[in-house]
Amino acid sequence: MRRLGIALVAGLALGGCVQTRQYADVEFTPPQGDYKLLVMRPDVSVGSVTTGGMVEPRADWTETARAKLLTALKAQQAGRGGNVMVLEKRDGIAGVSAEQVAELERLHYAVGSSIALHRYSGAYLPTKRRKGLDWTLGGDAVALGQRTGYDYALFLHAEDSFASDGRVALQVLGIAGCLVGFCAPTMGGAGQFAYASLVDLRTGKVVWFNVLSAESQVAGIKMGDIRTDAGAAQMVERLLDRMKPGREVRRRQKAAQ
Amino acid sequence: MTVLVSRRDLMTGAGALAAAGLVTGTAEARVLPKDMVPLIGPGYRAVDQDEKGLWQLMERVEEEVAGSNLLVQDPALTAYLRDLIGNVGGPAARDMRIYLARIPEFNAVMFPTGFSVVFTGLLLRMRNEAQLAGVIAHESAHFLRKHQLRQWRDTKRKTDVFSFLAMGAGVAGGAAGVYAGDLVRLAQFGTILSLLKYNRTLEAEADAMGVRLLAEAGYDPMAMSETWEQLIGELDLSAKYRRKRRDRDFSLFSTHPAPESRMADLKLSAAEVRHAGRQYEAHRDRYLAKLAAIRPTLLDDQVKLNDPGASQYVVETLAKDGWNGLLRFHEGEIWRLRNRRDDHVRAAQGYAAATLYADAPADAWRWHGIMLMKQGRRSEANAAFARYLRMAPNAPDAPFVRQMMVS
Repeated sequence: MRRLGIALVAGLALGGCVQTRQYADVEFTPPQGDYKLLVMRPDVSVGSVTTGGMVEPRADWTETARAKLLTALKAQQAGRGGNVMVLEKRDGIAGVSAEQVAELERLHYAVGSSIALHRYSGAYLPTKRRKGLDWTLGGDAVALGQRTGYDYALFLHAEDSFASDGRVALQVLGIAGCLVGFCAPTMGGAGQFAYASLVDLRTGKVVWFNVLSAESQVAGIKMGDIRTDAGAAQMVERLLDRMKPGREVRRRQKAAQ
Repeated sequence: MTVLVSRRDLMTGAGALAAAGLVTGTAEARVLPKDMVPLIGPGYRAVDQDEKGLWQLMERVEEEVAGSNLLVQDPALTAYLRDLIGNVGGPAARDMRIYLARIPEFNAVMFPTGFSVVFTGLLLRMRNEAQLAGVIAHESAHFLRKHQLRQWRDTKRKTDVFSFLAMGAGVAGGAAGVYAGDLVRLAQFGTILSLLKYNRTLEAEADAMGVRLLAEAGYDPMAMSETWEQLIGELDLSAKYRRKRRDRDFSLFSTHPAPESRMADLKLSAAEVRHAGRQYEAHRDRYLAKLAAIRPTLLDDQVKLNDPGASQYVVETLAKDGWNGLLRFHEGEIWRLRNRRDDHVRAAQGYAAATLYADAPADAWRWHGIMLMKQGRRSEANAAFARYLRMAPNAPDAPFVRQMMVS
């Protein structure tokens, strides 16, 4: 029994970690006051982790989570003074065709992948050293801003998954195995992953980027649940509420104090 | 999917299969066309929870595909493909969507929600409408028999069972003081094998049903085995030119059945679905007419892959129905691009042969001229250049060619 206790404690200690890591343009100031934010169609998917560890997408959970996330996002932005419009469909905004929106989304996908590779996956570029976040969507983003009058565009991606009953049963078996010396206390598989990317539509630059991961190491233990109001608000808070200014801005703030 | 294993692993793996009891059968019997009834009717929508999740995901995929700049923007051609799937699509004919992507590869894909992507490389290789309709019928069968969903469920079930077996074996082994790692590894191997097996069964189903749909629509059902014959020939020749052997490991580790056995099954099935007295058509003339405008682009894309074995096979296969200036020109292009020793001689022959046909493209005359010039046959070269300039007076290199003629 003692061995199980140790294993469980060890398991719970590893039981989950919530991590965010943000990068900003050196001259980035978090939007405050009266600004207009365009939220590009959020990419949300929620699924169930099968016993074997595959994620099975769930249409109903995804729909619920998308709605809850948007509500939470609007509330959070309103608190900062922003006027938010969510682009639910590509043709949902006057003056810009669905095709133009699609092209900007694809461009952002390419740029975002590049940021992920060179800022998060370890393939650091010497040319980007000490430059904060130095990526841009260029003229297309500026054109979108000019045509629509929005100051910022926010790209949002969120995934959440939950262990199925079978997965939890398997986990229980794995922990029970610790009694006989075959210990698998941390199977994992479920959890959250999200990123947000803020583009300044006056310059086209990606001014702020944040990645959130909240992974559960023990199947059955949740690190949040974006299908609920509280869980959606928690994700928005973790992802967007702690925007830090860029390095140069922070340096000046410090000098002024 | 390729899995590398030694023969010894394979044999021990087979033992583990029996032990794990994951294999349902070993003999690969032919799936009969008469057994292949559609599992869905017109206007089908996702029913079960897992299927709904899959559909929601696929709707986004289709939106991306539909807006992709890889799609060929040719209303007449896409309408033609839509008509074809409307002909051979069985009960879902009106529900399925078909997209033509400019990718020079021998392929077509069906997605679980009933939309299909056909690659331009497929259009290039088909010699008649029946062959193309055969591939489209095969893809339609994947949707009509709910293959992607069944595959997903099968994968899920097997990985679930494996997870429990592995954990159970570990716990049991732990209790008995035995290390079960090796056994677990073998069981895992068994799971992979049976997953691939299922996939091959589904492909065989799609073949059998495709043949049936093809014959029902009045096309010659033998067209499908001809397509496979062409694929085998192309893979062989492509490998030969690269001094390699075509991957022959189709037996256990392929997601698709071996092309040879597939071809044989298709022939048997085709004979089965034919009714005496009924006329079956290939519709070659109609196919050529529909493709006439895009064919130069298709050939050009293929040749620029610089896979001379495959390209030469494609050109020769098309030439079975008669050589023409376009095919001869591209034959020349294949060798000019490979550019090994003496390839320029073959290239020059290709261009020279092309100019003998009335439909030789302007570029054939241009390259014919350049090859003649290299051989020092200046007056003949100038005649060829003059012909080029008459055919393409506004070509970007026209001033340059004029300069070559006088210098």
